[in-house]
Amino acid sequence: MAASVALRLDLPALRLATPVTFADGVREHQDEVFGVALRITGDREAAQDVTSSTFLKAYRAFDRYDPRRPLRHWLLRIATNEAISYVRKRGRDLRRRVGVEEASEIVDATATPDAESVAREDRARIRAAVAELPELYRVVIVLRYFNDLSVEEVAHVTGRPASTIGVQLLRGRALLRRALEGPG
Amino acid sequence: MSRFDPSDELFDEARLRRALRLDASELPSRIDVAAIAVQADTRRPALLAASLLSTVLTCFAGAALIALAAVALPEIAPAIMSSLLADAIETLARAAVPASSILGAVQQPAVPMAALAALAVAIAYEYAQRRERVHEVTS
Repeated sequence: MAASVALRLDLPALRLATPVTFADGVREHQDEVFGVALRITGDREAAQDVTSSTFLKAYRAFDRYDPRRPLRHWLLRIATNEAISYVRKRGRDLRRRVGVEEASEIVDATATPDAESVAREDRARIRAAVAELPELYRVVIVLRYFNDLSVEEVAHVTGRPASTIGVQLLRGRALLRRALEGPG
Repeated sequence: MSRFDPSDELFDEARLRRALRLDASELPSRIDVAAIAVQADTRRPALLAASLLSTVLTCFAGAALIALAAVALPEIAPAIMSSLLADAIETLARAAVPASSILGAVQQPAVPMAALAALAVAIAYEYAQRRERVHEVTS
């Protein structure tokens, strides 16, 4: 069965010598796919489901993948769409199980308790606020600040114009600022 | 008075980036590529079966429609054809009534069509001759 997994394709001109396989894509991008799913759905189990369905869809559609474009963007586009579908299907009741309480349970033994617990709480609050953002802004915020994509790359992944992404990022950050720190 | 700075209204990018980063405890277990392949292959037969069922149902519905048409058409065709023929004859008769009066007027021997035509030709000829004469005098 493993033989059928190795769907070999030609790479873009810069890396012609190395063929990319579906297995390479899974190995290199699974954390990022899981991360984008987790930050959009706000739920670990949901993120795992989304990651599975993303790679399942990618496997089936791998012969339609355009090798001139980055595999990462293609996978992130599928993952984003899957996560959005999941959130819409499950509705608001599912969202945001990763809140302050759950995030605060994460323990890192290497850090000093006080400083790290403050930082942890801060991260948890920010994540919860991101998870509460409207879907429109949440997706671009996650792709820009979790996946470190440029505005143009976010535009490519989401299929929205770059100018729209710019506006949505500003609006999303403004909403986060208001949610976390209040006006002034 | 302090100047308005739009960045004052926005959440800090670096802080956002740090917060969204995956913690070590959040990392998922490794995905088994072979398992994805197996899952894809096991789900395919179900999709194929659904597709096959859909095709069979469509064919059945199409065949039923054709059979219904084949049975019903001989029954209703004469009625439809006679209705169409009657409509066509009625339309022809309506057009023929005004046309016959016009044709009758033309055929009346009291109207000297040939004389009128000859008169028109003579007038046109005379008019053309006069114009030629005027042209010769002025040139």
